[in-house]
Amino acid sequence: MNVLVVMIPLSLVLLAGAAAAFFWAVDHDQFADMETPALVPLDDDPSTAPAHLSNSGNAGTVAR
Amino acid sequence: MSAGVCTDDAHRVWARPEIARHAIRDLGAGRRETLLLIDGVRCAGCVRSIERALTAEPGVADVQINPASRRARIIWRDAETSLPQLLGAVARAGYRALPLDAEALDDVRRHESRAALKRLIVAAFGAMQAMMYAGVLYLGDADALDVVTRDFFRWLGFLVATPVVLYSGRPFFAGALRSLKARRPGMDVPVALAVAGIYVASLIEAVRGGEHVYFESVSMFVFFLLIGRYVEMCARHRAGDLTDALARLTPPYADRRLPSGEIERVGIRELVPGDRVRVAEGAVVPADGVLLAERCLVDEALLSGESAPVERHRGEMLVAGSVLVDGPVDLRVERVGSDTALAGIAELVGRAQASRPRLAQAGERAASRFVIRVLVLTGITAAAWSFFDPSRAFTAALAVLVVSCPCAFALAVPVAITRALAVLARRGVLVVKPDAIEALAGATHVVFDKTGTLTEPDLTITRIETRRGFSDAEALRLAAALARESRHPAARAIAAACPDRVLDAAKEVEAKPGLGVRATVGGRELRLGRADFALGGKLAEPLDEDAVLLADDAGVIAAFSLSERLRPDARDAIDALERQGLTVSIASGDSVDKVRTVATKLGVRDWHARQMPADKLARLAALRERGERVVAVGDGVNDAPVLGGADVAVALAEGAELAQATSDVVLTGGRLTHLPRARAIAIETLKILKQNQRWALGYNLSVVPLAALGFVPPLLAALGMSVSSLVVVLNAMRIGRREGGADARALRRSVVPVEDPA
Repeated sequence: MNVLVVMIPLSLVLLAGAAAAFFWAVDHDQFADMETPALVPLDDDPSTAPAHLSNSGNAGTVAR
Repeated sequence: MSAGVCTDDAHRVWARPEIARHAIRDLGAGRRETLLLIDGVRCAGCVRSIERALTAEPGVADVQINPASRRARIIWRDAETSLPQLLGAVARAGYRALPLDAEALDDVRRHESRAALKRLIVAAFGAMQAMMYAGVLYLGDADALDVVTRDFFRWLGFLVATPVVLYSGRPFFAGALRSLKARRPGMDVPVALAVAGIYVASLIEAVRGGEHVYFESVSMFVFFLLIGRYVEMCARHRAGDLTDALARLTPPYADRRLPSGEIERVGIRELVPGDRVRVAEGAVVPADGVLLAERCLVDEALLSGESAPVERHRGEMLVAGSVLVDGPVDLRVERVGSDTALAGIAELVGRAQASRPRLAQAGERAASRFVIRVLVLTGITAAAWSFFDPSRAFTAALAVLVVSCPCAFALAVPVAITRALAVLARRGVLVVKPDAIEALAGATHVVFDKTGTLTEPDLTITRIETRRGFSDAEALRLAAALARESRHPAARAIAAACPDRVLDAAKEVEAKPGLGVRATVGGRELRLGRADFALGGKLAEPLDEDAVLLADDAGVIAAFSLSERLRPDARDAIDALERQGLTVSIASGDSVDKVRTVATKLGVRDWHARQMPADKLARLAALRERGERVVAVGDGVNDAPVLGGADVAVALAEGAELAQATSDVVLTGGRLTHLPRARAIAIETLKILKQNQRWALGYNLSVVPLAALGFVPPLLAALGMSVSSLVVVLNAMRIGRREGGADARALRRSVVPVEDPA
């Protein structure tokens, strides 16, 4: 049972790590737009992307 | 939580006129209107405290707040207060307010959804771990775990539950505090009490080495609640999408042409009327302006719902937010910021979302009463149990707090209404007054105007008959000079038929609704309109009764015969309305023959011709007196006063006219079939709303007594309350789904291959 004293703190550290990674992802807009990034490669000329493709997520920050 | 960040300094930027222009609408007579987005509004309690803070400000005339869409509409007097002062007042009440524009929405939304996601994931991790440690403890009870190991796992539970309660659960505490400050307990109060109660009690038990700790229950409770809130937030964001899509249609910058001919890129807010801007092919028109190039094609789909590009010629108006299909072209800016047609439409939708329908107000009062009852009942439960069995008093009281679900009550109405508004907007039906949903569902009679409503708004001239030696072109020029001054479909047809763009100026213009236009052109008084009006009552010679006459004091100059076509979907719309059990009638100012023809074609038996606006109003009043609930359908511009006399006023409007239409409901894109569909959705909304209310009542009536009697363990209580508010939200999401599914299936059958909707 003594192994628990090592394993449980280790699991908590991993948990904290996962939470930190998730926070980073949220703060970097990884979940802001789940649909349009998949369509971007299909666009021939990114500079003329229609307004509704470029107004969310990262693009919105750039435009400001 | 963001209240502290917002100092009055941050609001000072809104005092700058070039920025304020985009958020403030001038209502005339020194009255201004602003739509605000308010962060942190949850319930009726918040609404009261913000309303109190704002109405206490000098110069505030009217405040309306809708907690579901978190929009506030404020009407204030320019002389006594200013936008920064209003924002400051809201900040002092503990909320963050932002004038409603696309950037503010982006900011608030991104902020809100990021915070919600983080809270949710912390709660999920915490709850997962806490459940595992609790599992060890439960099994340990059977295995006779030694005290040291048991305490070790209890403290581990405390360790993972603490961030869940203190970080993830913070919105509940903040909300409860705010609503208590406003002396109007909202639904956060019992939640916060329950979370704090379970957590503190478990901590005391852990220190004492007592019998039971509930760290896993409190973590799960917070996690379930946050899931419910998250779903609600997503639904709200989706519902707000339309306004935001509209607000976002305008690009952030424009290409301004300098006098030297060079192009300079400027922020959209720096544009002023009179500027010359260049719009590239495929770009979005940045402001309302007059086309300076010969011709161009624009796509106004997002304004009118009609996807075919329309052709515009030199001198015609391009509307901000429409997409230029071929270009580049130059235009001269006429209106910017909140004066544009687009801003007007966004405003219409925003106003609908900011006003609280009667139904919602009743729902809020019910929820507030319910919270107070729950708190009283919790007190009684605790008192009663401490009399019989003090050891169970605490768990039973907590179970009552946790299991009762005021959220279901508070959400029942707003989620249904907000969802209905969004669904209707996506179908091209803009609801300006949310009360119209209730009225539309209960309607019994529809009165249609004919010209421009049942028929296409564009008439064409089929024949010009001139007198006294005038040529066709001359007569047309004179008539067009007058016709330009009226928006009546017949006038527009005449104005459009004239090939010349530069016409003699019409002076002393006077438009008589239902009759015609009178004006002086080149020193001669001319009248254009119905025969009796144009001739001033002297009917000298027999003429085609239906023709539009141009006359001066000497007599008839020309007679224009116009042809009109029925809208292709008029018959379908009327049939659908009759199938829904509505009585349909037509009231038109046109001649008997024309109205009869149209009525026969459409199968309408009840029709009335030669109706002046006053006659139409009297007809509506008579119908309403008989107990009918009347829907009046018109073009919203020429017949605005008539529409005002109905229970529900519906206007068909396209393009720039959308914003001017005075009505409760606007059908965009000129589709009459939207009306029966809108009614079907309104009926469905009311049905689902009643279901939600019955569910909330039924759930609470059945579980609260069980909890008070001590039959409900904390974990089950947490699950029950979260599921019950989720049911309300998900049920509201069904509005419009069935019909939408049918549409999609029909589309899939007819269109092969299916095009990517994006």
